[in-house]
Amino acid sequence: MKTLLTASALALAAATAPTLSAAQTEIRVHYAIPTIWAETQAALEEAFEAQNPDIDIVIDGPAESYAEGVQRLLRESVAGTLPDVAWVGLNRWRILEARGLTQPLDPFLPEDPEAAGYTGALLSLGQYQGTQHALGTSASTLVMYVNPDLVEQAGYSMDDFPTDYNGIIELAAAIDDLGDNIDGIWIDRHDWRFQSLLGGYGGRPMTEDESDITFDSEAGRQAAELYARFASEGGMKSYIDDQARQAYPAGTLGIMMDSSSLLKRFTEAAGESFPVTVVRLPVPAPENAYFPTGGSGIVMLTEDEAKQQAAWEYISFVTGPEGQKIIVESTGYAPTNALVLEDESYLGAYYEANPNAKTAHSQVAEFAGPWYAYPGAEGVAVTDLISAALVEIADGDAEPGARIEALADTLRDRLGMN
Amino acid sequence: MRLSRTARERATDLWLAGPATLAMIGLIFAPVAIVAVLSFTDYQFGALTFRWIGWENYATLFTDPIGRKAVTNTLIYVAVVIPFAMGLALVVALGLHNLAARFPRISATLRAAYFLPVAATLVAMALAWQMLLHPSIGLVNQTLGGLGLPAPDWLSDRGLVIYTLAAIGIWQSVGYNMVLFLAGLAAIPPDLYEAAEVDGATKGWERFWTVTWPMLGPTTLFVAVITATQAFRVFETVATLTRGGPAFASDTLVYALYREGFEYFKAGYASAITMVFFVVMVALTLAQFRVLERRVHYR
Repeated sequence: MKTLLTASALALAAATAPTLSAAQTEIRVHYAIPTIWAETQAALEEAFEAQNPDIDIVIDGPAESYAEGVQRLLRESVAGTLPDVAWVGLNRWRILEARGLTQPLDPFLPEDPEAAGYTGALLSLGQYQGTQHALGTSASTLVMYVNPDLVEQAGYSMDDFPTDYNGIIELAAAIDDLGDNIDGIWIDRHDWRFQSLLGGYGGRPMTEDESDITFDSEAGRQAAELYARFASEGGMKSYIDDQARQAYPAGTLGIMMDSSSLLKRFTEAAGESFPVTVVRLPVPAPENAYFPTGGSGIVMLTEDEAKQQAAWEYISFVTGPEGQKIIVESTGYAPTNALVLEDESYLGAYYEANPNAKTAHSQVAEFAGPWYAYPGAEGVAVTDLISAALVEIADGDAEPGARIEALADTLRDRLGMN
Repeated sequence: MRLSRTARERATDLWLAGPATLAMIGLIFAPVAIVAVLSFTDYQFGALTFRWIGWENYATLFTDPIGRKAVTNTLIYVAVVIPFAMGLALVVALGLHNLAARFPRISATLRAAYFLPVAATLVAMALAWQMLLHPSIGLVNQTLGGLGLPAPDWLSDRGLVIYTLAAIGIWQSVGYNMVLFLAGLAAIPPDLYEAAEVDGATKGWERFWTVTWPMLGPTTLFVAVITATQAFRVFETVATLTRGGPAFASDTLVYALYREGFEYFKAGYASAITMVFFVVMVALTLAQFRVLERRVHYR
């Protein structure tokens, strides 16, 4: 009966809505990964519409993943039914940019973006060749998830956790020796993880103008050697990501290097068995270091000028301090607006209750940098070649330095950089 | 207006067969033709322009190390799955068929158990396999370790992963093949066995070789074609368990076409893979029709 009442109330509301909203602008919004975002999107819509009664936010049915989301947007672009605004993976907005679908945001940004909380580092997440195509909405970087129980059992202490890779590999080896089923350390053999280690050593995957590969440098060799040493000394198994993400909460993996966005999932999965603890990545080259930032960004797709202004109102709300507070509290992602971090009134209480989140987010705030996307038709395909090379290095089938050089040459060839 | 009898019959024919033919042209032939055309271009999904590149996509598939890997992996998978999925299914079917005479209840229960993997969603089953095959906390390796046996990385050892997937493929198709064989066995007239016995074929093996196996001829060929088409189509386990990895060690034809088309957005290249896959499927289907038309049996 109650559902019937609600249903009729909704039907009535739907029937009367058009007459009330004659002056409303409708903005269609696309997003992906409802398991993370559904509640957040609803909360953002409600908060935004309360402040902007003249704009009606209509959210499309979400896509299951960022990859599927971009596919859908491309299909919609062919059919001419693109939404006005889309939330996309921070490494995927370039696919839309390359097809001329994104609208530059520079005309809408305030005179002084810094004052609005858009720092240079945060803006860089959505810039290409000096044009702002996207704004970050949520951020994550690579961090270490540590099992403190295993650290103690191995005779180490969380209070003086090693801060360089040599120390971490020694600790991993000690944890690995605890038992056949216990592993020391794990990191995925994956483009973004490799870029993170590389960035810590101060290296870059490509030149600024994307005309050449630059990871066949000293920094690149060191990053690749870490994979070999993690496997040979630190007891890293050749898990695929799902297997490692089962092993860490099960308490059989000492150090898990993965995205800070997994904090909520690991904490829930580990439950009472051990206190999941986040530790920042070592930074061997502090003066030049950055960490490529994953997460989501937002792009404007509508070409209709009247709608663009309303779309910008929405974009600036979700990337502004109020929207960011909602996003951080409900998803656990790091914010992409400096104001929420500077002003304790927004998230002070949240960080008090979630010290792990504070650790992860402080690393984002300090070291956020772009997640380099390789240009052109082969751009996504080559990331799988990078993974394959890292698999060979970790399995001990290739010498890191030589393999990285060969990989760089392959990429230059495939990406037409010769 | 009065139509002649033949004209009316023709109109009826057209009315009956026309809509289905139109649907087939619109939904099957036209898309295949479009894919065939795309396979000669470098078209990128969503791109504004494309270029004609002739047979280049096909050349890449058979010369590029990754493309070749997908082809050879698929062939290995098919070569492992066909004999085992058929052999095991035949053994199980023979066992259950004989068991049914004495213990019909047990036979029926076992039949349902063997058929379960066919009825279950493969993606959900793949997740169960993922748990079982976990290198350190999975049941399989815990058991092997407890017995003092080596515990391999079933899904992340590059030399092993395609055989692990093949084993799951066999597990999945044994039940279906078993049902087909059981139907074949039930159709063999019992007087043939009596006649064989009169002629001196008394041992079980002799009876199998002189009566059962020849009489199962058409069923066996049908099962072979069905198993081959299913094996060539392997996708769900690859997509859920390994995503073609590690380092393309479990890349297969259909997964490669998904990866190239929907992750890399290389619609042209993915179309070329689709055409190769399509040709293999058409060849298998034609073989099946041939076999069924010739009716290879002794009745």
